[in-house]
Amino acid sequence: MNENEKITPVDGDFYGGLLTVTPSPHIKHTDTTTRVMVDVLIALAPAFIWGIIVFGLNAFLMPLIAVAASVFFEFAVQKLLHKPVTVGDCSAAVTGLLLGFNLPANDSYFLPVVGAAFAIVVVKQLFGGIGKNFVNPALAARVFLFLSWPTKMAAYPAAFDRTVVDAVASATPRAGGEVELLDLFLGKCGGSIGEISTLLLLVGGVYLLLRRVITWHIPVAYLGTVALITFLFPQGGGFFDLTFMLTELCSGGLVLGAVFMATDYVTSPVTAKGRLIFGVGCGLLTVFFRYFGAYPEGVSFAILVMNCLVWYIDKLTRPRVFGGARHGK
Amino acid sequence: MYTFKGGTHVREYKNTDSAPIERMPAPPTVAIPMSQHIGAPCRPVVKPWDHVDYGQLIGEVEQGLGCPVHASVSGTVKKIETRLSAQGNPVEVVILENDGLYTKSDRIKPFPKPLEEATPDEIVEVIRSAGISGMGGATFPTYAKLKGAIGKADTLIINCAECEPFITANHRMMLEHPERIIDGTRVLMQALGLKRALIGVEDNKPDAIALLREKAPTYIKICTLKTKYPQGDERQLMYALLGKELPTGKLPADIGCVIFNAETVAAIWHAFFNGTPLCKRVVTVDGDCVGRPANVKVPLGTSYRDLIEYCGGLIKQPERIINGGPMMGNAQWDFNASITKGSSSILALSHEFCQKGHSSLPSACIRCGRCVKNCPMHLMPNMLVNFAMRRRWDDAAAYHVMSCVECGTCSYNCPGGMQIVQHIRVAKATIRAAQTAARMREAALEKEKKGEVASSERK
Repeated sequence: MNENEKITPVDGDFYGGLLTVTPSPHIKHTDTTTRVMVDVLIALAPAFIWGIIVFGLNAFLMPLIAVAASVFFEFAVQKLLHKPVTVGDCSAAVTGLLLGFNLPANDSYFLPVVGAAFAIVVVKQLFGGIGKNFVNPALAARVFLFLSWPTKMAAYPAAFDRTVVDAVASATPRAGGEVELLDLFLGKCGGSIGEISTLLLLVGGVYLLLRRVITWHIPVAYLGTVALITFLFPQGGGFFDLTFMLTELCSGGLVLGAVFMATDYVTSPVTAKGRLIFGVGCGLLTVFFRYFGAYPEGVSFAILVMNCLVWYIDKLTRPRVFGGARHGK
Repeated sequence: MYTFKGGTHVREYKNTDSAPIERMPAPPTVAIPMSQHIGAPCRPVVKPWDHVDYGQLIGEVEQGLGCPVHASVSGTVKKIETRLSAQGNPVEVVILENDGLYTKSDRIKPFPKPLEEATPDEIVEVIRSAGISGMGGATFPTYAKLKGAIGKADTLIINCAECEPFITANHRMMLEHPERIIDGTRVLMQALGLKRALIGVEDNKPDAIALLREKAPTYIKICTLKTKYPQGDERQLMYALLGKELPTGKLPADIGCVIFNAETVAAIWHAFFNGTPLCKRVVTVDGDCVGRPANVKVPLGTSYRDLIEYCGGLIKQPERIINGGPMMGNAQWDFNASITKGSSSILALSHEFCQKGHSSLPSACIRCGRCVKNCPMHLMPNMLVNFAMRRRWDDAAAYHVMSCVECGTCSYNCPGGMQIVQHIRVAKATIRAAQTAARMREAALEKEKKGEVASSERK
């Protein structure tokens, strides 16, 4: 199977070469883990570029440092533990970029490094590496940073404002800043690097759907639940507030969370039914945290809590075996 | 359009769908295994230096389930030796030297009565003595399947789905000899006492569907199936055509169905109308290492090497030689192995072709859920592979590992490159062995108890 075990023809006599006896099936789909991860990177690219346009150089540097640090820590841990090095599958790069997306575009360059260390070393590798972590590494790292350096993590520069270089917090839409709804949708507002442009994140999501990297279940269930509750019961009281609903949908990294974070394979259910439950749960918790929580936003916490329930949702939504009875031994 | 839930559209590679069936001249020697089917192996009824005619009986079933074996060339028995079968079991092989004369055995004569007057038992006997076994790959003796279905089955289905990639042997058969499939179906209908039959064809063969519709009488319905693997599995086929789920552990006849493969039906046609036993079959020879991919009518017992040489030889080093389709076929280790009744195709695939960009990074499940989404049996292969790797056999059984049909859809789609099916096979074999051991222990205990009772009575 390995490259170095390849058979070489014996003087052009192809019947003389050794044959490999392997179990069926003998052909494979072209999608590999690497390909999936590269697709996610491609899907994140438009929002990344928009972040750089809006916030300038720091919006380029912070994610870049996060990616580099993630890849480095993955490599270092695997070398130290004498495990095969799998940085080539690009999953560390995806974690790094998502972490970078969740950071403010200020100049606290240690944030992505510490965050990457936490995401890769603690959340991912200590639990067994790719496929074994039970919460989303990028989100866990974001919350870790958020709780450790709350002021630095909230030091959002204003959109298109290059004069503010130092950490002067400008109000993001979720922190009471007034922004036109259309600007919010397009991403002409403050916020963390990757979360601002709802439009471009949705474009990335459509790409992932078309490439069949993700299924529609989680994003639709998640966004649908949030939309429904915020429309029916707006936070300020009253009923049926469309503007409030749209503001809620377009702010606070909800779309980034619903399309890119909640759909993380490793920390979401594998069945279609389970994904719907997971999405609805994320939606309910997000609104709950936003309405009643101490922090202005709830996406990270909602997804992390639901991550911890995935094993149970999977168990709950086991499909009925073809030709078999309902569940039970 | 009929279809089922789950499954996946596997890349088709039907390179040979316009390659007419060629008749390969019989090679100088053929090696005919005495076991080419499920059931007991045959006992050779010829001795070295005996002369045999084409179609002569050379292996007879002694007892139990099995199919007789016939000479596929005329000539002399060179020797009888033990070799390993395509599945890796030792099996007796009769090696015939071809005299090139094609003298036909005098047993080859058509059924003496017209079809309408044939009784079910007579038809079963014709099929049994012609040595016909399922030619789609599972090689279950056809007479036994038919016999078990008489009086039980009310629906006859002819499986022309041909869902495995590469293989076009059935497709060509339908295009070139539709009457064989239709008349063979009529023979089966006569045996089963049925007035209607269904022929299921995947929609990637529109020309075959059109031709069969044109030729078939009204009581044989041609059904278009959506092209999706594993449509040719009988469970999925029955579900698609009739909406019936085969309950776990039951046979199709238990829910009133009986299913035959297209080429099996053509073999039945040969046996009934010509009296020819099963001595040849159509094999698709393909793969990126084969010079001239083709559909070839091959005498059984021809070696892979002779067949590949006939098809332009190897043009590069193959990594795997596969007997059967790429999804469920067996990788072979010997070019001298023989074409048998179940060899629907021979594929020579290179390393690059099989790997398809899957790197040498260690495989790991990323829980993408593709295996769950695509499993035609609605299992959770990701959980099964996990349990199997951790030797948690009870958990695997609780997740219905025994229902796995090993179609390979999960492994095909796995981006992590996990050999899911192989892990499941290990789990199934372990559980089956444990069950057998438990049964034997129980039987031994029972015996002991009885023995004690008997001895105490004696006292």
